[in-house]
Amino acid sequence: MNVVSATPARGAGASLSAMAVTVDERLAQAFVKLADTLVVGYDLIEFLQTLTDQCVDLLEVDAAGLLLADSRGTLRLVAASTEQARVVELFQIQNDEGPCLDCYRTRQAVIVSDIRSDWAVARWPRFSAAAREMGYAGVHAIPMRLRDQVIGTLNLFKIAPDGLDPAVVVAATALVDVATIGILQERSVRQHEVVAGQLQRALNSRVMIEQAKGVLAERLRVTPDEAFVVLRRYARDHNHPLTELSGDVIRGTVRITTDK
Amino acid sequence: MAGERAARVWAWIAAAGEGGAPASLAALCLAAAGQLGVDGASVTAMGGPAVREPLSASDELSTWLEELLLTTGEGPGVEDFMFGSPVLIPDLESETERWPGFAPAAVAAGARALFAFPLQAGAIRVGMLSLYRAQPGPLAPQQLADALVFADIALQLLLDSASGISGLAGYHPLDGLSDSRAEVYQAVGMISVQLDVSLEEAFVRLRAHAFAASTPLHNIAGDVVKRLLRFAPDPGP
Repeated sequence: MNVVSATPARGAGASLSAMAVTVDERLAQAFVKLADTLVVGYDLIEFLQTLTDQCVDLLEVDAAGLLLADSRGTLRLVAASTEQARVVELFQIQNDEGPCLDCYRTRQAVIVSDIRSDWAVARWPRFSAAAREMGYAGVHAIPMRLRDQVIGTLNLFKIAPDGLDPAVVVAATALVDVATIGILQERSVRQHEVVAGQLQRALNSRVMIEQAKGVLAERLRVTPDEAFVVLRRYARDHNHPLTELSGDVIRGTVRITTDK
Repeated sequence: MAGERAARVWAWIAAAGEGGAPASLAALCLAAAGQLGVDGASVTAMGGPAVREPLSASDELSTWLEELLLTTGEGPGVEDFMFGSPVLIPDLESETERWPGFAPAAVAAGARALFAFPLQAGAIRVGMLSLYRAQPGPLAPQQLADALVFADIALQLLLDSASGISGLAGYHPLDGLSDSRAEVYQAVGMISVQLDVSLEEAFVRLRAHAFAASTPLHNIAGDVVKRLLRFAPDPGP
């Protein structure tokens, strides 16, 4: 694995091996959970959402977001463990500068233990300031690889400036591979046109969810973040795929109220 | 880097237009045909799977293919419109079983490869960009990436022609879809409820407002999401 590490190598002491065992077990559980959702007709955004939630649980990070590159090479957020607007913004400003953009360009993991360190501030002045303001120290980006191509990145934020354990990087890479399979729907995708089509579809699903958040926010007089919570809860309670539900909310065929 | 491809495609479209004329779908079709290694390009408005209205085409065969799609009710376009991903047919001869009415007639008329791209953003779906080539074979990766950008710009031109801003001096659609921040789409959803209109119409209104105010789209969208700006329905006649 190619890892560009800004962290001095950590001693592989007892804490690491203990962590490795825990991560192994929990990773296995996470894969079972993800496999359960990866069935015929699954909702991609819901799947990726579950995956970013799993990242937070499993990798002991504080926020996780999955970014896909669109046809312009712009990195766009498709799923995040939190829809809190300011965190979302933090994922997004990395189109100008930041570890995610570097990860996408270099095709290598970028591990930044402390975004407030001098070199990080010099390299990404705007991003560093924004992350610091949000209280994040660790910012890590893992590439989503498909053969020689990078189709997106997984971004992990940590409040503690204690780096990312090598075992965690391995686990994150495994999760990212699962995400790639989820997006491309099959392991043996060879043709670039199939990849491009699936990416377009994934990005488009995400746009539709944003539109539904807006519709619901206006109807319920809440913020888009709150609307997303309502939308996702309804999707789960009614076993209704998130993307499909978004379409229904936009068309007005499903009316969601906040009454219990 | 993100904007480079879009800027390049936009420059092709500008160069294909009549000297100094505002951007048009006609120029877009000519540029697409010239730059994507294909022989023709056309843009069709679609109001639903069954409603197609040809808007512009670079050549006669493109126009004829559109008519053939309409009369046979087959071919790329219908499924495309429903599912939102491009339909890429490197060899139409292999699609005879799937489209018995459309494929053989298209091949006989001189179209071997066909590529169709939906003009859409989330639930907003307004039409299709179609490309054909006389020789079979897939689009190269770079051509495919460029085609997707052509489709994005076609969507913007179509939306902006609805409010009339695409014909104005200084019009430049790059600020539109390339600005894919979440608030832009959240704002579109909010405006559609405020005005009780479709998402398409809401997006048209948001873009027209941004153009009139000479303000980046995402700034206006941010104000809508923060509830600093509300769109009011036009007073009735």
